[in-house]
Formats: sequence, structure tokens, C-alpha cells
Amino acid sequence: MARSTADTTNESFRHDSSTLTERIAANPEPALRWAGVAAVLLLLELGAFLGGVLTLFHAAVLGVTALLEVSLGAVSSGLGEAAFGFQTDALASISGVRDAAQSIPTLLSRETISNQGHMVGPNGPWTGTFLGLEPAYAWGIRVVLVLVYAFVTAYWLFRGWLVFRNHYRQADWTPTDDIINRLRDHRWGQFGIAVLVVFLTLALFGPALGPTTVQQNIKSPYAEESQIEYFSDDTGSVETVFAGKANFDSKSKGPNQNVGPMTYDDYGRFHPFGTLPNGRDLFTFMMGGARISLIVTGLAIGLASFIAGALGLISAFYGGTTDLAVLTTADGITSVPRLLLLVMLSAVFANHWLGSVLDGGFLLALIFGFTGWPLLWRAVRGPALQVAQEEWVDAAESFGQRPTLIMWKHMFPYVMGYLLVYASMSAGGIVVSLSALSFIGNGLGITAPTPAWGRAVSLGQSYVAGPSWHIALIPGLMIVILVMGLNAFGDGLRDAIDPETKGSDDGDELAAGGGA
Amino acid sequence: MNRLVYLVKRLLLGLPVVLFGVTMTFLILYLGPLDPVNTILGRDATPEDVRQLRIALGYIYPNGDPVPLWDQYLMTMRDLFTFNFGNSWVIQRNTSVVSLIAARMPATLWLGWWSVVIALVIGIPAGLFAGLRSNTMSDYLTSGGGILWRAMPNFWLAVMIAGSLTAGGAFSWYRDFGPSTDVIGTSDALGAMLGPSPFAGIPVLGVIPDPNLGNILTAFKWILPAALVLGSASMGNEIRIGRTAVMESKNSKYVETAKAKGLASRRIILKHVGRNALIPLLPVIMGEFYLLIGGALLVELVFAINGLGSMFLRATIGADVPMVMALAFIFVIITVAFNIVQDLLYTVVDPRISLEATER
Repeated sequence: MARSTADTTNESFRHDSSTLTERIAANPEPALRWAGVAAVLLLLELGAFLGGVLTLFHAAVLGVTALLEVSLGAVSSGLGEAAFGFQTDALASISGVRDAAQSIPTLLSRETISNQGHMVGPNGPWTGTFLGLEPAYAWGIRVVLVLVYAFVTAYWLFRGWLVFRNHYRQADWTPTDDIINRLRDHRWGQFGIAVLVVFLTLALFGPALGPTTVQQNIKSPYAEESQIEYFSDDTGSVETVFAGKANFDSKSKGPNQNVGPMTYDDYGRFHPFGTLPNGRDLFTFMMGGARISLIVTGLAIGLASFIAGALGLISAFYGGTTDLAVLTTADGITSVPRLLLLVMLSAVFANHWLGSVLDGGFLLALIFGFTGWPLLWRAVRGPALQVAQEEWVDAAESFGQRPTLIMWKHMFPYVMGYLLVYASMSAGGIVVSLSALSFIGNGLGITAPTPAWGRAVSLGQSYVAGPSWHIALIPGLMIVILVMGLNAFGDGLRDAIDPETKGSDDGDELAAGGGA
Repeated sequence: MNRLVYLVKRLLLGLPVVLFGVTMTFLILYLGPLDPVNTILGRDATPEDVRQLRIALGYIYPNGDPVPLWDQYLMTMRDLFTFNFGNSWVIQRNTSVVSLIAARMPATLWLGWWSVVIALVIGIPAGLFAGLRSNTMSDYLTSGGGILWRAMPNFWLAVMIAGSLTAGGAFSWYRDFGPSTDVIGTSDALGAMLGPSPFAGIPVLGVIPDPNLGNILTAFKWILPAALVLGSASMGNEIRIGRTAVMESKNSKYVETAKAKGLASRRIILKHVGRNALIPLLPVIMGEFYLLIGGALLVELVFAINGLGSMFLRATIGADVPMVMALAFIFVIITVAFNIVQDLLYTVVDPRISLEATER
């Protein structure tokens, strides 16, 4: 957008080539106003944001160093050990910083608005909860506040772009303006964006949203710090119990024992989505599942888009044999039905050490990325071929620009929109396939006990018809909503980027997730 | 271009694709950290047993040297391309892969056939209906249903439907509602339908059902819930694309002309709107076959149908290498063949599409 490469020798163009910083310095007021509010928003939840970013960074470092370790280890074992040493040190320091970041108090945290308290007598009142409210209300207030906060932040980011457009951008108009304007009238696309914001919130603020934590309720319910207090009707006094023991007495297993959605168990714990057959809190489980699902989907779609984009540009630019080779590779990969390939790869690597990185999520992301690019590549190949024949590409070639630079500067911007559209559509397919693998279990999918949506469906399979219907129904509905949102976002983006082809439905094969 | 020349050319181009797909499967199975010997013998196997088995499975020579990967590859390819699939290692030791596949195939074919047909019979008319009444309440209901139907994961839909239809559910579909059928395994219903067939006992041909209507209806009733789930995504796609296609063609000049010359609206819809709406639907209908193979795995798992999909799952988890190789080989060939058939069908449905243009 900024014409950074404009001709600076011409006097009349001099102001045009000013950098963004210079322009902000010349007229700082709108930027300061925006940044002030943004800073307040950031400070309110600094711990959560840093924690989320560092978790991703931790995963990335772990994955990259793990790959390095293997490839270096193949050359010499000394190098492999050096890589391993570096990995251990780096990971330890990152997780140290992360834990420190997560301990920064945030306004909308479970400590500030707590729902974990207990009654002091048989009929209340509650102590330890936010303002002495019932846990259900305390939890509800926290969820509403977090969602409001997320939407305000999302709007404020968009507002930042508006400020940039109105005050600091030099061009009066760019194609992005038209895309945004068309999206502003696209209700279906806006629904998609809203769904995405909600699910990103669930993933990022999961620990603050759940009525309890994954650590306390699911991963180590018998740890020393996982004890909870409750008012016991039997003894008539406040007792202490391990979360694991409380889980044991709060199972949802059909007519004889059930803790349904929006109810309390015998230990005064509130369960917004009810409990699982093993007594764990389904809502907390779903929040943990949202985090791992979105991390895997994000990594996979990033990898697939990168491969598809690079190969699409290369095959369009060089054409001929290169194109044919990529075509055969892509056809070869898609010739094995996607889900079978996924099952095969995850079964083969089930006991491999790679399968332990990120609870199996890293391996799954790699698998989804390397099996998913052909469909994306096919979608961008047409536009890439078209742009490769444009005069400006010829012109750039004729004055001797490097091919990589031509592809990046003159071809990629044209292809990027399509890549984004199809990436968001196939993201839905990845979410579905990922939960399908976790549903199958048997070493496929995310490793237990780390929460995964598919496993919740699998746990609830035998209780569908009966009082414990919530176990299988709610996770499935969440998948349906997320997939619909991703499809809607893709539809909206496509209509906004390319209004001519309104109503074409090329993304269907991608969105279906190989029949999962 | 001559259609026959085109076909030959496509078949030749399909060969490297098949080779690539099969090679990829081979590399995953043989280079990956899969350990069939351990799976077969269990943990407390003696070293001698392990050595014997390794020799028997073709991993090492009797003198203890490992068989080079290249030799294993050539041997596997030679066996596959001569349709010599060998014996199963894990699922049923020393039973030929072909007979296992032949035994499981009828259930999968029966399931796949009905999932395609049900999706077509419901999806296309619903799409046409929504398109003809575009932007009315009934359109919103239909296309909204299509969007929802499309977004539902097969495995979850299968769990929900199976859960509410089996005993204890809202209504017990398999016991009541006409003749009662088995829920688990390849049901008696399918057996009864296939049993008295004059071709029974002959692999492949045994799939042709006995023309006894009662048996066919029973088998149909048994497969219906599973087929509905397996066809769900395609049905949603058909509604969606059928609707757009109808909306585009109903405002076109030739429909106006047909109206002006006083053609009955039923004829207009069938002859002019319908036929043209079929063109964009073709890839969806063909794409259904592609989704079937993957989807069958999960649907068969949930509905406990003894078909190829559930066998593939068991074979993969149990490291039954010959079985996985054979099934992958068959699936790859089917996929490649369907791609070619689809491109040929395009030219039949829409004569404007030339063979040159569809060449890839």
C-alpha cells in the first residue's frame, strides 16, 4: 500500500515516499487515540495474550528443533545431541517465561471473577465466589465479559485499519477498500467472522472461560493443589476432597447417574455442559479441545497454503514439465482417499516420538499439511496460470528480474486472495477430519488425556438416547457451528474478492473433509 | 480430438498417478515406524520366532541379511500389478486377501449404492425446488437445511442417528418398523438377499442380489440409516449447487423463449432448466464417489457394518501390510478411473465442452 519504492529523485514525489512513521509523526492524534484504547485493551488481558502467543511459540520451537534433531542426528549423533540440548534449554526458558506471563493478573480471570467456592451451610450462602453469587451466575458473568471483550478487541483491530486508511494511507483507494465494503453488506460472511472470533476466544481464553481448569479437572485431578472444598450434607460441615474423587461421584452414565448441562453436582461444582462419563467437566474439556483443534488446524492450513502457493506459482511460472510433475504428484496424493491416507499415516506414526510433540497435534498438523496441499494447489493453479501470462510478468522477465522476485511481487498478490478463500474452506475439512481421527481413537488423533472434541463424541456414543445425551450432542454441535462459520467466512471472502463468480461452489470438495 | 484417442491418452497419464499413489503407500508402510512382527507375535516372542517370521514376511533373508528396500518394493509392485495380493498377516492369518475383500465387499457396495441414490433422489429435487422458489421462506428452509446438513461431520451424525434408532432410542428402527434386522455385523438381511442368488459363492458376482423383493426391502431397511449419513455431505452440496444452477438458468433467454411460446411449465423445468442445471451438478455427483470411500470407514465403524472401510481401519491399526496395500491399490485405481469417467461424461452432458479443454 505504501509506495516505498517510489522515485525519490523527483521533488514533487518526495512527500509520497514518506514512511508510515513520518506520517504518524506529522499527525499523531488519531493514531494516539487508537493506540491508547488498544493499550488499555491489551493491558487488561496481557497475561492471557502473552500466554497464548508463547504457547504457540513453544510449540513452534519444539517442532522445528525436533525436526532439526532428527535430520542432524542422521548426519552425526553429536550434532543431534547438541540440537537436543539446545531444545531442552530453549523450551525450559520459554515455558518459564510463559508461566510468568500467565501469572500476570488479568481482569477477566477466574481469580477475579471466581465461580469456585462452596456453601457455608445447607442453604448457602456461597463463599469464595465472585460477590458471593451462585457459581452459575459468577461463571455466566465471566463468560459474557470475556466474549464482550473479545468482540470489542476484534472491532478495535478493524478500527485500527480504518484509522490507517483515513489518516495515514497515501492512496485514496486500494482494492482492499472494495473487498471490505462488500464484506460489510455480506451477512453470511459476517456470521462466519463472528463464529471465528468466538472460537478464537474459546481457544485463547479457554482457561479463563471454563468453570474449572484442564490441569485440575482432567490432567492431574489427584494432585495436591487439585483439592476442592464443599459443604457436605452428610457431615453438615465444609469438607475437602480431591477433584478426582469428586469427578468419580459426578459421572454421567445414563439414567442411574447423570449430571446434565447447567446443573450442579453433589460437590457444588457447576457444569455448564454437564459432565463426561468419567465425571470430568465437559465445558472445560471442550475449551481444551478448542485450543488444540485450532492450533493443529492453523499449523496445517499454514503449511498446506505455503506449499500450495509456492508450487502454484512455480508450476505456473515455469509450466511444461514442472507443471506436469507437480500435477502427477498432486494427483498421486489425492488418488489415495484422504481419510484413508490420514488414518494410515497416523497409525504408522502412532508410537513414534514425533507423535508425542504437542500431544500428537504436531504430527497431525504435518500430516494434514502434506496431504492437504494438492486440493489447494488445484484451486490456485488456474489464477496462477492466468497471471503468469500477463504482460507485466513478461516485462519483469525481460528486464532481468529474478524469477523468485517476479513470483513474489508480481504474481503472488493476485493469487493470495484465492489462497485465502480456499484455505478457509479446507480449514473446515481439517477440523472435521481431526475430530474424526480422535473419534476413532486407537492411537490416532490427539493423545488422551489432552481434550479433543472427537473423543468426547466417542465417549458419549453409548448414551445418545437417554439423560446423558449432552456428551455426544454438544461437541458435535460445536464442530458443526465452527465448520459452518469457516465455510461462511470462505463464501463471504470469495464474494468480496471476486464478485463476478458469485455463487460458484468450487470449495465443496475441500469443505467436506474427505468424507469424515 | 477423437474420444478414443483421448481415452487412451488419459489412461496413459493415469498410470504414473496410480504408480505414485501405490508407491507412496508402500513407502509409508515400509519406511515408517510400523512393526508388523511385534504386532503379530506380541511382546513375549522369542528371538527365534521373530527371526522366522521376519524371513516369512520377506523382511530378511534366511542368512539374516535384510532384504533391500528396493527388492521389497519391486516384489510388492510385481505382485500388486499382477493382482496377486497374497495372504493376510493379521486380520485372518493365512487367508487370502482376495477372499477377505470379496466377503466384505457386498456390504460396502450396498451401502455406497444407496448413499448415492438417496442423496440424489432427495438432494437434486430439493435443490431445484429451492432454486425455483428463490428467496422465499421455503427456499431459506431448504437451503439452510442443506448448509447445516453439509457441515455435520459424518461420524457425529452416524453416532446421533445410530444412537436414537437402536434399542433404547426414540424408536427402535431395527426391531420394529417392518421386518426386524440385525444391528451388528453384516446382517442376516444382506445375507438373505445375497444368499439364494445364482451367482452366490463366486467372488465379485456374488454381489448381484437375488430378485426377491422382500429380501431386498429388508436389506434396504437395514442399510437406510447408514446410507443417509454417508450421503449427507453430498446431499447438502447437491441442494446448494442445484439451487444456484437453477437460479442462473431460469432467468436465461431460452427459458423466456420457451415461456413465450406457451410451453407447459413442467416441460420447461424438466427440459430446459433441469438439463442445464445438471452440468455444474456432475462434478458433485462424481465427487460423491470420492467421499464414499473415506466416509465408509467411519460410517461402517459406527453402524458396525462389516465392510471394506472398517476392514481397512483394522488392517491399518493392526499392521496388516498386504491387506492395506491391496485395499489402497484398489481405491487408487477406482479414484483414477472415476476422474477419467467424469471428464468423459462432461462432454456427453454438455457438448460445448471440448475434449481439448478438459485435458489437464
